[in-house]
Amino acid sequence: MNVRRMMAIAVVAAGGFWSAAAQAEETVIWWDFLGGGDGVRMKQMIADFNTAHAGKIKIDATTLEWGTPFYTKVQTSAAVGEAPDVMTYHASRIPLAVSQDILEEITADDMSKMGLSASDFAQTTMDAVTVDGKQYAVPLDTHPIVLYYNRDLLKKAGVLGSDGRPVGMGNKEEFTATLKKLKDAGVEFPLGSVTADGNFMYRTIYSLVCQQGGELLTGNEFLAGDNPEKLEKALTVLQGWTKAGLQSTYTDYPATVALFTSGKAAMMINGVWEVPTMTDLAKQGKLFDWGAVEIPVIFDKPCTYADSHSFAIPKNKGKEISPEKRAAVLEVISWMDKHSLFWATAGHIPAYKPVTGTAEYKAMEPNATYSTLTANMIFDPKSPKAGVAGPIFDIMSNYFVPTLNGEMAPAEAVKSIKEELNSM
Amino acid sequence: MLRNFRTERLVALVLVAPFLAVYLLAFVYPTVQMFRISFTDAPLIGAGRWVGLDNYLRLDNDPIFRRAVWNTAYFVLMTVVPGTLIALLIALGVSRLKGRFQALVLALFFLPYILPVSVVYLIWDWTLNFQFGIAMHVLDWLGIPRVPVFKSRVWFLPAVAGVTIWWTAGFSILLFLAGLRSIPAEIYEAAALDSSTRWTTFRRITWPLLWPITSLVFTIQLILQLKIFDQVYLFSIGGRPNDNMVLVYYVFQKAFQQNQGGRAAAVAVTLFVLVVVVSVLQFQLLRFAERRRR
Repeated sequence: MNVRRMMAIAVVAAGGFWSAAAQAEETVIWWDFLGGGDGVRMKQMIADFNTAHAGKIKIDATTLEWGTPFYTKVQTSAAVGEAPDVMTYHASRIPLAVSQDILEEITADDMSKMGLSASDFAQTTMDAVTVDGKQYAVPLDTHPIVLYYNRDLLKKAGVLGSDGRPVGMGNKEEFTATLKKLKDAGVEFPLGSVTADGNFMYRTIYSLVCQQGGELLTGNEFLAGDNPEKLEKALTVLQGWTKAGLQSTYTDYPATVALFTSGKAAMMINGVWEVPTMTDLAKQGKLFDWGAVEIPVIFDKPCTYADSHSFAIPKNKGKEISPEKRAAVLEVISWMDKHSLFWATAGHIPAYKPVTGTAEYKAMEPNATYSTLTANMIFDPKSPKAGVAGPIFDIMSNYFVPTLNGEMAPAEAVKSIKEELNSM
Repeated sequence: MLRNFRTERLVALVLVAPFLAVYLLAFVYPTVQMFRISFTDAPLIGAGRWVGLDNYLRLDNDPIFRRAVWNTAYFVLMTVVPGTLIALLIALGVSRLKGRFQALVLALFFLPYILPVSVVYLIWDWTLNFQFGIAMHVLDWLGIPRVPVFKSRVWFLPAVAGVTIWWTAGFSILLFLAGLRSIPAEIYEAAALDSSTRWTTFRRITWPLLWPITSLVFTIQLILQLKIFDQVYLFSIGGRPNDNMVLVYYVFQKAFQQNQGGRAAAVAVTLFVLVVVVSVLQFQLLRFAERRRR
């Protein structure tokens, strides 16, 4: 290396350092819990953001363990002033976070700075991030559960409709008959279910309660009125499928996905976040012909549990966020929402309406097939005790595994759930 | 030589001070706080209202707390005595081997002990997972129905107890081996001259001389297993933590999942008292047994 070149490098390096210092590039510390196929998509979006804002804003992202570990860390770090600048947050957990006073309010002024307005989002989604009229997060998506299915196996068993969708989605008897036909056709598990993970089954069971018009929380009482019977009915249906050998038993989350993708299970109820797993496998030619639709109506009306990934700004005790940093954070949130068409490839339904309104989004599969369900979505009850990995979720899911695998009677489980929820 | 007590005391203080500071900060202060919080309705972070004995009174008719106590006792029962005995047996076997081969066998038994709990969990999950575990394929091959080892009520605690013994036996074996090596060879020679049988030699020489080590291993195991958490937590992820509930898990559930710091502290205090009482009681019992033997 000659001297001239070395000097050139030194000048460039010094200049680079100087210009960065002059413009004061803002580093935004970002935490998320997106560890699956959707996490890969999000990392891509973060890289794109950093490229587009080179020299101005840089996202320094960390992915943490989903669930209790994530939320515990957020809580403790906010209490000692070590929280990130921005983080992903489940809308269902926002009432709890507000009661713990760990989120900054998103003001109307913030929204206009981001070039967003409340009317850009669905009313239910916006409600989910609002507590007592104050907004605490900006929704990125809604993520319901859907029914994945294997067209090859369904066709073989004669339960694939001419529209390429499964038949028997209208009521319990029809759907059970479809499962039986699959079993008779030699499918090992007609339905792959996460029966060893109550956390996961909460979503399905809550949907089934909602399909009967039931609710978990009435005023301050859990499972009031005839809601216990509704929960019991939902559990009875699922336990019946186990007993008849129609769904996989004692199966944990990764095993369920594996049973489905390996063709041992013909259908699977799972979150839309597994869409990237399927599209990626299909692209490599390692997957059968698959599809995803709204979950079947087992009771009176269609209803599907959903939650929303949103962006929240933690309230750091004793370490107020600077106006410059806050502006950078708002730019991050705004950019992510406006570019959420790519986020839709992670299976989620973008919350930002101008994105879901585009022709590109409307043509996107399988999102287009199941996006109709947004009309039938239900979010968690609005309570500081609700939310993924929160108190209600935790207490209920503890009783699901024994019930779904036939070790505990549904009535017994419901009785204990009701007692435990109300003695919280 | 004349000793200057004042300088000696100063030196002693300087030498002890760093430990004392850490001890006060990292043990005494949190313990006092734990007692204080247990009388309030504090959430996970921050202060709460004074509620007196409420948190303790609620434990009295709390079925999950009762199950946690019972499960902890059951787990201690399944790990402490069998774990100690198995370690003793293995140590007796290993002590008969010689040289490099002995080192190799000892290393094999010690290996699991150096693994972190998450690795232990993964190994056993791969082996015993209901859908994909290697052992399940063996059961299929033998025509025996599969057993959801870590997911069923009946099997969970015995299975975790087995894994725990497998995981922690190495350390106890090491202690026993050290104990065996400290028994003078002459005593065995004398016994051999008196044509003592193997069983008599063990009963009259090895066992009594090994007693201090046995009681040490027993005490360490007892305190360790009363505080069982990691394995139970990992093996019941998403599963059925209520049926598998042990005391430390209950503290975790109350504090971190249900945001009830005060009630969690009450459970922690109960466990703290339990560990102190049980270990003191056990130590006294063992000393009593030893005295009677003499």
